[in-house]
This record gives sequence, C-alpha cells and structure tokens, in this order.
Amino acid sequence: MILEVKNIKKSFGEAEILHNISFTVQSGRAFGLLGRNGAGKTTTIRILMGVFNANEGDILLDGIPFDQTKYKIGYLPEERGLYPKKPVIEQLVYLGQLRGLKKAEALKNSIYWLERLGVIEYKKRKLETLSKGNQQKIQLASTLVSNPDLIILDEPFSGLDPVNSQLLKDVVQELIDINKLVIFSSHQMSYVEEFCDDILIMNQGEVAILGSLNQIKKDFGHNRLFVSSTNYTHQNLKEFMQSNFSENVKVEAILKKGIIIELLNNTSKKELLNLLLKTDIDIDTFQMYEPSLNDIFVDKAGDK
Amino acid sequence: MKQFFTVFKFELLHYFKNKAYIITTSILCVVAVIGLSVPTILDLFGFGEDKEPTGPSSSETSDFDTYGVITNDIIDLNDPSLTIYFPSINFIEYTSPDQLNEDVISETIEAGFVIESDFEYQYLVKNSSMHDPLVSKFSNYLKHNYQLVTFESLNIDSDKVFEVLNTKVSSETIVLGKDSVNNYMYTYILIMMLYFMVIFYGQMIATGVASEKSNRAIEVLVTSAKPNNLIFGKVFAGALAGIIQFGAIIGFSYISYEINSAAWNNGLDMIFHIPLDAILSFAVFGLLGYLFYSFIFGALGALASKTEDINTSAMPITLIFVGAFLVVMAGMNDPTGSLLTIASYIPFSSFMAMFVRVAMTDVSMVEVIISLVILVLSTGLIGIIAAKIYRQGTLRYGNPLKLKDAFKMLKSKD
Repeated sequence: MILEVKNIKKSFGEAEILHNISFTVQSGRAFGLLGRNGAGKTTTIRILMGVFNANEGDILLDGIPFDQTKYKIGYLPEERGLYPKKPVIEQLVYLGQLRGLKKAEALKNSIYWLERLGVIEYKKRKLETLSKGNQQKIQLASTLVSNPDLIILDEPFSGLDPVNSQLLKDVVQELIDINKLVIFSSHQMSYVEEFCDDILIMNQGEVAILGSLNQIKKDFGHNRLFVSSTNYTHQNLKEFMQSNFSENVKVEAILKKGIIIELLNNTSKKELLNLLLKTDIDIDTFQMYEPSLNDIFVDKAGDK
Repeated sequence: MKQFFTVFKFELLHYFKNKAYIITTSILCVVAVIGLSVPTILDLFGFGEDKEPTGPSSSETSDFDTYGVITNDIIDLNDPSLTIYFPSINFIEYTSPDQLNEDVISETIEAGFVIESDFEYQYLVKNSSMHDPLVSKFSNYLKHNYQLVTFESLNIDSDKVFEVLNTKVSSETIVLGKDSVNNYMYTYILIMMLYFMVIFYGQMIATGVASEKSNRAIEVLVTSAKPNNLIFGKVFAGALAGIIQFGAIIGFSYISYEINSAAWNNGLDMIFHIPLDAILSFAVFGLLGYLFYSFIFGALGALASKTEDINTSAMPITLIFVGAFLVVMAGMNDPTGSLLTIASYIPFSSFMAMFVRVAMTDVSMVEVIISLVILVLSTGLIGIIAAKIYRQGTLRYGNPLKLKDAFKMLKSKD
C-alpha cells in the first residue's frame, strides 16, 4: 500500500497551520514524521485520520482517495488516555469493537496483545492501578487491538524503561516486517534513525526536508569531511586550516571529536589529504562526514 | 449504526455498574415501597384502630389554655357563646392592666385582651407569631356580641336575623372536560420528576464527556469512532439509564400502592391512577425534552477541559431550564392561560408545558401535533449541532470554551 499526501493546506480561523504538505508512506517502510512542538505534526496526523478536514489537498491510498472508514487505523496519541477507572480488558474490547471488530475477535486480539506485551496479568485490573510503563503498554495494545492497516505512533517510547523499550522496538519492527503502513513521530532521534527509512521534517507547517533518511544524510554530508588530529587541538586545527588552506576548505563546525570542513573550489579528498600529509599534522581521523539525524533536525527545524 | 450500539451499550453498562447508580436506585425504590406500606404496617400492629372514622380533625385538645381579659363590662365571661367561639380557652377576668402585662410576660397566662369599647380591644402577647387565629376569632366574637346587644336594644329577634344571614346556597360542579384540581397533584409530581431527571442526568452526561476529555480518552475515541455515534450513544444511554431509574421508582411505588391502596382508603388514587392520554403525553414529550436537554449538556461537556469547568459551561443552559421550569410551574395555576400556551410551543419548555396542558385541560390534537413536530425537529437539530460542537470541542484544551466559541465552531468546516 502507498499512502500519498498531496499539497495539504489547513487553517484554523485566519491562521494557516499547514502550508502545502506532501509526502508518501509505503507499507513495509517506516515513515518518520518529525518537527518541533507546534510544527503541525498532530494536525497532519488528525487530517490523515479524518478527525479534521483539510482545506485543500488530497490523500490517496494506492491512487484512490483515502476513505478512513474503510480501513482500520491504530493511533497511539502523544497524550496518552484511556479510561482510568475501567478494567483493562473491557476498554480494549470496546475500542476493538468501535473499530469494527466483532466482540469475540476483539477479545482474542486483546488477549494476544496483552500477552505479547507481557501485561496479561493486569487484564482485569483498573488502568489507574498500573505503573506508568504498564499503562503505556496497555495504550499500545489498544492501538494494535484492531489489527490496523495504518499505524500512527506518536512518541511511543516515552515513559518506557530500556527493557520495555526493547520489547516495543521488536513489536514495531514486526509491524514493519509484515508490511504495515507505519508512521512514527518522535523527538527521540535515535529511535527514528533505528526504524525509519523515510522522514519528513516539518517546520512551522511547511516541509523542511523530505526523503529517504540515507539519501538525506548523504546529501547533508555531501562534500564535507570529518577531520581530527593527535597533535593539534580542534581549535588549533581549525585555525591552521583557515590560515593555510583557505582556498581549499571552509571549516564549518568544531565537534567534540574533531572538526567538520567543506571542500571548496573542486578540491578533492585526495588533494586535501596530500596537502595535509605535507604538514606536521598527525592525522587521526579523515573521513566523509555523515550527519546524525539530530544534526539534520537542528539544522532544518532549529531557529535560524 | 453498529458503532452507535457499541457506544450505547458500553455507556449504559457504565451506569449499571456504577455503585452510586445502583445504590441510589435501590434506596429510592425501598423508600417508595416502605413509605407507601406505612398505613398497612400501622394497621398490622394495631395503630390507628382507635382512630376517629371521620379522620383526623380533632386538633383541639382537652387541655385548656388560660387567657386574661379586662372586660370593662363590655362582654360577659359567662356568656355561653364564648365557649362556642373558644372551646379550649379558659378566660380569667383581670382588673389591673399592669397585672395582666406582668402575667403575660411571666407566661402565667398565654396572652391577654383589654376590651376598650364595643369595637376596640388590645391583644397582649409575649411573642407574636405570623398567623395567630385568635385575633380574628376574638374580633368575630366582639362583633357578634355587639350585634346581639344592638338587636336586643332595637327589639329585633336576633335568631331570625342570623338565620336569614346564614342561609346556605348549595352547588355541585360537574366537570365535563378535565378536572384541574384533581389532576394537579400527579401533574406536579411528574413535572418535578422531569426536572430532576434533566438536571441529574444532564450533569452526568456533561461530566462523562468532560472527564473523557480530561483523561484524554477522547483522543483515542474520536479517532476510533464517528463523533456522531459517540455523542448519540452517550446521550441515549444516559437517557435510558435515567428512564430505567425513574421507571423503577415509579413502578415499585405503583405496585406498592396497589397492594396497600385499601389501607390508604384509596386516598392516593389521584396520584397513581393517571389517565392514559396524560401518561402518553408525559412519555413522548418527556422523553423528547429530556433528549433535547441531554444533547445540549453533552455538547457543553465537550466545551470544558476539566470536570471542574462543567458548572461554568453548563450555567447558561441550566438557567434557561430552571426559567422554563418556573414558567411551567407558574402556568399550572392557570393551565388555560396564554403563558402556558406560548411555553407549550417553545422547545425549551414545551415538553413540560404541553404535558401540563394535556393533563389539566382539553387541548386539540392539532396543537399537540404542532408542538410535537417542533420539539422533534428541534431535538434532531440540537443533536446534529451537539455532535458538531462535540467533534470540535473535544480536541480543544485549555480554558473552558464559551458558547460564543461554540457558535463559531458551527460555522467552521473542520
């Protein structure tokens, strides 16, 4: 399945919140929807689920307009919420039925997910009596109980300890492996890097960057090198580069373990390496710079 | 439709599993059954056997209260008619006003009278009450005494005069339409029940919606089901829970009264034996009015972000409802008046007003149908509006939204 969002615009009153948002999600490839608070992620998600209508634009599934009522959507909201005073199993079955399952099927699926997530012993307990981590697992079970075609996970790892995070990672990976459409929204970039093949970074209601994560990293690191030395501090190395090779490189940043430089005037890596070898610099690292998603995020969504 | 029934069932079970609901219903049913069985129980244990067959009319006791009088020779304390006017009062003659004052203050006597002339007297009492029947009784007696003395001085036969003056005219009212007096009681009780149902369940529905919002369950709900199904399911479940609760209380009361009616001497027939047309109009108008307000309360619950904000959000509609209730209660004193007639067409009050008119007067079927159509259409419209406000309001947090914002939402195409 391919979900295409095309030129979505959305206004609340006078203010336009989303400006021409377009992206494509493919089943079997997790999609990361990123952005700072207030960038428009939740509004985009709500439009996808049919809670809000877009003012303009189309949402297509396999080329035809996406009718949310014909597909099951599992949504794990960032603001967790279920009925605190009701038994776990009762609310899971209810949500399953609301999304179109028969009672027996909803019960079967609920038990499957409670077992899979290791919380089956709490099925008759009231939700409010469980720990935060276990409540989080119940919330995830409620997202998956209807065996959804499209799964939207908003900050799924918040509140989980490392063991439970690993359990959730396995579950998410399974969902991706069985060709579900998975949209993943998080501020924890390490998780996004781990799962997502494609990302969209939104900034103030616009597409800041969109595409395959590998390609983005490659493009972002294009013509940039990461260099460090054993006999020069990063600052001294930067000054040395600026005073001796200003025609060939521009120092972009000093990181913890080295400096990032950009090659200028068609200087190749080999030429720069030859130049450096002729100096007294004892090169420790000389490699293509591959940015982390965090660097890309800060660059694209940060304050300019 | 399946989604609607899923929500409806879930919400209805929520009421049935609610301890407060079960306990309140049980207690009220038990109170109704026991309350209506009291005469039978009293009979069973022998109380009331020595009751006067004419009923409780002996308010006078055998104890005599003592009152002081300074007669100034205007009345005679040995006058036999004095005991007819004041059967349980013993009058003592005083000569000194100071002594009389003193005895009243020290409560040696109940009160005192100082007769100054045939038409004037002072009534001395330590603490006055709102309604002291003695004043008018004593005035009547003085007047009677003066009349007797005057007739005597004019040589007129006072017995003859009083016979003419007290001639009785007998009358019989034959009610061809409806007897407002007899119907007043059950109409009053049913209107009060409607009032409590709307207030109780309206608040419960609003609280239910607002608590889903405050615990954020709404995030999952609105993305799992259509908002229309959610709000309609909630409102109808709340309505049915209310009907079941009040139905149980009425049912138990009715059965208990039927069993105990002999012990009541059928004295409550006017409450329990309600004509079919009144029951039908109560059921139809009551249900629609109840739904009408429940939808509004549901939508208002969606405007609040926390359950504490409900009172603020629901204040305007509560005031309107209480106003409509007071108008209808006032209209019950004049059921054919224009106040009740107008109120019986306005959906905010028609469900109570039209029921009152049907129960207490003769209303043409055309009028009933017009009022019913207006109420049905308004309830449908309010349901649709409520669903829209619910959808818009549920995902907006922060300060409680005002009605003004709700109307803005209606125009939005979100």
